Amino acid sequence: MTGFILTDLRRLWAGSLVLILLIAFATALGVAVTLQERALRLGSARAADKFDLVVGAPGSETQLLLSSVFLQPSPLPLMPGDVLSKLAADPRVSWAAPIGFGDSFSGYPIVGTSAALAGKLSALSEGQVFAKAGEAVVGSAVNLPIGYAVKPTHGLAELGGETHTELAYRITGRMAPTGTSWDRAILVPIQSVWSLHGMGGHSHDEAAEAHDAESHDADAHEADHDHEHAALDPAAPLDENWSAETPGLPAILVKPKTIADAYKLRQDYRGNGTLAVFPGEVLTSLYATLGDAKRVLSAVAIGAQVLVAAAVLLVTIIHVGQRRRQIGALRAFGAPQPAVLLIVWLELFILVALGIVLGFAIGYGAATFLSRLFSGESGVVLPVAFARDDLASALAITAFAAVLALVPALLAYRQSPAAALRSAA
Amino acid sequence: MLSLELTGISVSYPGLPAPVLDIPALSIAAGSRVAITGASGSGKSTLVNIITGLERVRSGSVIWGETDLVLMSERSRDRWRGAHIGLVMQDFHLFAGLSAVDNILLPARLSRVFKAGDKDRALQLLDAVGLSRADQKIETMSRGEMQRVAIARALLRKPGVLIADEPTASLDSDSGETVVRLLIELSLSNDSTLIVVSHDPRLTSRLDRCITLATGRITADLQRREKAA
Repeated sequence: MTGFILTDLRRLWAGSLVLILLIAFATALGVAVTLQERALRLGSARAADKFDLVVGAPGSETQLLLSSVFLQPSPLPLMPGDVLSKLAADPRVSWAAPIGFGDSFSGYPIVGTSAALAGKLSALSEGQVFAKAGEAVVGSAVNLPIGYAVKPTHGLAELGGETHTELAYRITGRMAPTGTSWDRAILVPIQSVWSLHGMGGHSHDEAAEAHDAESHDADAHEADHDHEHAALDPAAPLDENWSAETPGLPAILVKPKTIADAYKLRQDYRGNGTLAVFPGEVLTSLYATLGDAKRVLSAVAIGAQVLVAAAVLLVTIIHVGQRRRQIGALRAFGAPQPAVLLIVWLELFILVALGIVLGFAIGYGAATFLSRLFSGESGVVLPVAFARDDLASALAITAFAAVLALVPALLAYRQSPAAALRSAA
Repeated sequence: MLSLELTGISVSYPGLPAPVLDIPALSIAAGSRVAITGASGSGKSTLVNIITGLERVRSGSVIWGETDLVLMSERSRDRWRGAHIGLVMQDFHLFAGLSAVDNILLPARLSRVFKAGDKDRALQLLDAVGLSRADQKIETMSRGEMQRVAIARALLRKPGVLIADEPTASLDSDSGETVVRLLIELSLSNDSTLIVVSHDPRLTSRLDRCITLATGRITADLQRREKAA
């Protein structure tokens, strides 16, 4: 029987192939949507996992999360610099690190921060943490060698940013992979970022001071850009004694000592000119949106699958009609009815099952490909993986296919052999 | 070898004034070689369908040996036909993509009655019909060769009856001649009753008995004493 079925399928290989591919693509669509959504959820959750509490100026929680955790370039409102010194002195805080954005180098965001964060985020895989104003640590996905001189560009080069000529950072260390956006970041001392942008709390540059007093907005300084281009000393030692004179900051990453401390800190730093968020909490509300999008995509995928199922059913019913002769002959030569039923059912079911297996493979491949693409751009690793639910849905689809394949099989079963043979003659 | 007793068979279809087949009684002795002839539309095919159990009749009886097909369910008729009737059709009904020997074995395999010795018997039968390449794909064969494979297939399970429906109608005269010879020889050597529906005088003239049908009725029934070669 298997020999006969295989021969039959080989004889009808072109049609069988089309059927398999049709089913495979319909299945792949649904699988890819599910896997991609799960990967996005897992990947972003893992990326945010490293960041317990983020404190910023009042504004959009989502934007604070996207900018600090996912390093999405976007101007954030600034909060007073003394928040950092208050947090650093707080006994509930294990460590607090300022982060300042704005510059980039060949597509990699340059993030100003403290040496503490550069060491805490992940162990260095090579080199050491920056110790001078002109040194930098790069994330694992930054394709620059140790010792390379990074000339920061203001904003993004693609958007016509201007290159800072006053300072070039020398790369002194590289972090181990973290699977977060920070893998694509170039970490530099935040003091240098302030100095470059004329906000030097410690340099006591008069022009910068005047500017600082005028506005805390990092972007506002572009208007009077030319007067603060004094060359900076890359060998200047770092002073990480945050004082009240610290310039305005877009965000501070805080590592609380305990979970209870985390909740208390979040409570204390909401209001009074600051906004504290748990990244996980913000992500949850983002996921709600993501979930709605997934529902729409799933509906589209299910629609496609229903159409394909209908097309497959139509094709096979026509096919059984065309095979009346063959089926009639099988019966005439003594093949029992159940054998005919099994042959037609198995032939279709084998094709559908192959299509489903292939569809899962294609869906997995597509999701992996998209995730790589996304990881390349954002640094966030999106883990594409099947879960137990997928097995259940695969079984459900297969069971549905098995029932569907029964329709043409029953048609063949009910055919009278005499009538089938007569229709041929 | 099986004998056939047909009584009270009448087949009519709605919309047709006269029955397509009306045979009050017909008996065929076990081991005889019978030709059934008649114009197209005379009821030959209906008769074949009824005596093979492919078509169900509601009245009368179709008794092969001791078995009455009329009383059997469709499934048991299928099983009985597979075991006792060898069928040879005008259009061969072989399965493309399978080799000659696989075609011969297919009905036995599908009915799950395939035995260890069947493969040897299939090869013997192939040899008996004058074919040597058992693994040749059926679609690469000539029509005459295909019909010879069909004869071998019909004989695999040593049927009590060999029924051929226009076996030579789609063949050239040389191939037809071979097929006629093989049907007669092999039905003799395999102890099968032979019933052939045919227009072909080469075939009908060489059988013991010739039944002529017209508009569903038997109009002539000729016995010949001399045996076919």
